[in-house]
Amino acid sequence: MSQNRQYELVYIVAPEASEQEVADLHTQVEQIVQRFTGTLDKTENWGRRKLAYEIGHHREGTYVVETITGSGELMKEIDRRLRVTDAVIRHLAVRVDDDLRVAERLRGERKATQARRRTARGLPPEPSPSERRGEPHDDQDEDRIGMEGVEVQR
Amino acid sequence: MSEERGGRGGRGGAKSGDKGKGEGRPRGGFFRRRRVCKFCADKIDYINYKDVRLLMPFIPERGKIQPRRISGTCAKHQRALQTAISRARQLALIPYVTD
Repeated sequence: MSQNRQYELVYIVAPEASEQEVADLHTQVEQIVQRFTGTLDKTENWGRRKLAYEIGHHREGTYVVETITGSGELMKEIDRRLRVTDAVIRHLAVRVDDDLRVAERLRGERKATQARRRTARGLPPEPSPSERRGEPHDDQDEDRIGMEGVEVQR
Repeated sequence: MSEERGGRGGRGGAKSGDKGKGEGRPRGGFFRRRRVCKFCADKIDYINYKDVRLLMPFIPERGKIQPRRISGTCAKHQRALQTAISRARQLALIPYVTD
């Protein structure tokens, strides 16, 4: 196995398809994943949803989201299979591991900066729920003044 | 001085006086410029293309992507938003055009 990458696969099944057919499609995808020694991490069925525009005279469709870890060849095969399957009216596979890693790093950095600044100000590194800003909408300014007041005392 | 305050004052020559995002927005298609990028302010690192509720505010009635000069989104997040919107469009979560 060369590389393991995480992908997100979304496909839309035609509204005429029965529950059984949707389940069959899922097992088909699963089999391909197993054949290429990947792993199927998560499956989400959004159920029937209205489409924002018509796709091949369909106005709604069943959305299925699968999170898959595997190689590029695996995704190529899945892509090919879904393309020839008539019941699938639309599908999209996106590689997500890089984006998620970047998001994770940014979150970590932000947390570290916050902790550093807070300790520099002599506060505990984690903000307590009471001084969290943003959620209460209108009293932000008072909040800020209150915080400065605390600092003056120190 | 608290760090949030310093960051806010420095951003984009904020017009003083008008605070608050939703208030006093006239109806006739004119949107007051938001001073901060929504994604920076809400600390959203990854703009998920499946989250229609997140993307909808950036798509006016016509279905086009709202430009940065109106929404106030920063360059980095506008780029990410573009990708997310085009993915959502492919999946028929968001229309390409609405007439």
